Amino acid sequence: MDHFPTNWGRPRNELYDQYNTFPLHQRPTNHTDTFTDGVQRTQQPIVTGTSVLAIQYKDGVMMAADNLASYGSLARFRDITRLHAVGTSTIVGASGDMSDFQYLQRVLDEIVTDEFTAGDGNSLGPAEVHEFLARRMYARRSKMNPLWNALLVGGIQNGKRFLAFVDLLGTTYSASSLATGYGAHIALPILRQDVDPNPDAITEEAAREILRKCMRVLYYRDARSLDKYQIATVTSAGVSISEAQKLDTNWDFAEKIRGYGSQTQ
Amino acid sequence: MPDGSYERPQQRQFNPYSENGGTILAIAGADFSVIAGDTRQSEGYSIQTRYAPKVFRLTERAVLAVNGFAADGNMFVKKVKQRLEWYRHAHAKDMPLRAIARLIQTMLYAQRFFPYYVYNILGGIEEDGTGAVYSFDPVGSYEREACRAAGAAQSLVQPFLDNQIYFKNQTPAPGASHPTHLPLPDVLSIVIDSFTSATERHIEVGDGLEIYVVLAKGRSTQELASIGGLQELSTRAEGDRMFVIRRDLKKD
Amino acid sequence: MSIMQYNGGSTIAMVGKDCVAIACDLRLGNQALGISSNFEKIFAMTERTYIGLPGLATDVTTLHEQLRYRLNMYTIKEERTMEPETFIHLVSSTLYEKRWGPYFIEPVLAGLQRMPGGSFRPFIASTDLIGCINFAKDFVVAGTASEKLFGVAEGLWEPDLAPEDLFETISQTLLNAVDRDAYSGWGAVVYVITEDKVIKRTLKGRMD
Repeated sequence: MDHFPTNWGRPRNELYDQYNTFPLHQRPTNHTDTFTDGVQRTQQPIVTGTSVLAIQYKDGVMMAADNLASYGSLARFRDITRLHAVGTSTIVGASGDMSDFQYLQRVLDEIVTDEFTAGDGNSLGPAEVHEFLARRMYARRSKMNPLWNALLVGGIQNGKRFLAFVDLLGTTYSASSLATGYGAHIALPILRQDVDPNPDAITEEAAREILRKCMRVLYYRDARSLDKYQIATVTSAGVSISEAQKLDTNWDFAEKIRGYGSQTQ
Repeated sequence: MPDGSYERPQQRQFNPYSENGGTILAIAGADFSVIAGDTRQSEGYSIQTRYAPKVFRLTERAVLAVNGFAADGNMFVKKVKQRLEWYRHAHAKDMPLRAIARLIQTMLYAQRFFPYYVYNILGGIEEDGTGAVYSFDPVGSYEREACRAAGAAQSLVQPFLDNQIYFKNQTPAPGASHPTHLPLPDVLSIVIDSFTSATERHIEVGDGLEIYVVLAKGRSTQELASIGGLQELSTRAEGDRMFVIRRDLKKD
Repeated sequence: MSIMQYNGGSTIAMVGKDCVAIACDLRLGNQALGISSNFEKIFAMTERTYIGLPGLATDVTTLHEQLRYRLNMYTIKEERTMEPETFIHLVSSTLYEKRWGPYFIEPVLAGLQRMPGGSFRPFIASTDLIGCINFAKDFVVAGTASEKLFGVAEGLWEPDLAPEDLFETISQTLLNAVDRDAYSGWGAVVYVITEDKVIKRTLKGRMD
């Protein structure tokens, strides 16, 4: 008796593996699907964006991401926007695979259009957009065909700030300051120190300065980052994504570094 | 190969699971049930958020705690809640606790070959008015118990509970016997001690503590009067009552 | 399966008021198979210094003999007994000597340290298998049930326990922890060390 249901109904080979010593998933199969090898799945990200940062502040939510899309260690595209407005009160920031993100941008734009066309006066807020993305990401990971991103969703809904995270596994969470990728290790401690005690005390200019500071720290330490970045804000007045701006950096300290690279003394 | 090519193409398998730390715990009393969980969500050494609830109100008398892979946990709770809503529409009443337990086992086993990577503990009040705790493994094996800990600090907390709830390794005084159920204040102290202990020695436990208390119909709420951070969740004063106690845990 | 879990076994030490306690289980196993219920892992090194050696059973014997030899050499040369704080450094350096081929033991030590005035101060410490010392003020644990021991001890222990209360605390901690560990148990031994006497008690435990 073959106790493995996956082998029932298949031609038997009495001479081969009579005692079911093969692990279940490796048992020989006569079944072949000519097209199986032709199905493409994202098994690894290709063109990638690095960290996204976001904080809540007095008037709403502010988000930052640089303009780089890398191809491995190659700084391939230096003018990519990784912040995307959805409707009039939501911003989505993406790290990870840029083609998957651009696909999501299209999907999000479609549902916004659908919602508008319905003409019932309802529109999608950040909570709905985040829920949609979380469901889609979770559904795709469950098909073993993930959308290789870590996304931040921020906005304002019914006068309340909203900021949440979702990644390729469908994992979600929210907090008053969030960051993806290297940002979660390098920038998030700074963001938490500045923001967590009281987001309401942070003015727009202060929020901008906090994000600028963190983007600079990231640019100094993250090799896949760029000194050109954008900042998006969502307030009760709506969404705005800034023009690309340059980070002012100071590399004087590099003169004093000793002990590796070309300067060993 | 010597020419730099691979003999076979490299394959990296996508891993659809993760572990998000935290610990949950439930204790049943004679006519009450206590279900608790910390609120830290982490991945590796990173704290993702200091407040992500793991304990959820299902009905007026049932609470579910989920622990393991957070995405699976949240999705599972969502689906259980949906099934309970359908039950309400079909039967015009809440599903009884033992039926919820069986529903959860069925839903978990349905995913036997791609499991929800989640440990569930269901607590609440049974139809006969007794406090109950049901604990599950990720593929649906379950049993009714008096107490259970699960999650990252299960191995720290469960033996403590054996000692303090089941009085394991304790001999009663001659002629006396151990109580089968503890009073509510004792249970709450044990829950709080368990979590402060786990927070002290386990890096994935901490930040906040949410303790749900379900009291059987007609039971006095006297013992909860002096508890700080208490909030009532029940919509009706008659019938079973539900409360949540929110406390801080160390954040380091 | 790690070599640290090959034979099973656990040890714990706790500080009390003017006393210390150290306890171990009695199991010796060959992976999941129980071999002996009479394998003591705690050894008296001096009158007031006891060491627990949970880990690979063959190394328990070897390390114990090695430590006994070095302690005797010290006693002969110095013409005085070694204090526990000194002894833990001897343990540490003995283990670190074998940094790249260690004894698979995580020692736990409890003793009373003689002070300049002639009084005694409770002292406990533990090390990892290559001799990194952990000077704890409350309790130290090691062995296959270490996580469980941490959990229960953190819940039961309190400062300034009198000898009999300390005995109860360490016994309950050990028994309840090893009952949740498949590789530890099968009875226990507890030592309570006070200034004027050492009490050794053998505890019955679950035999499953």
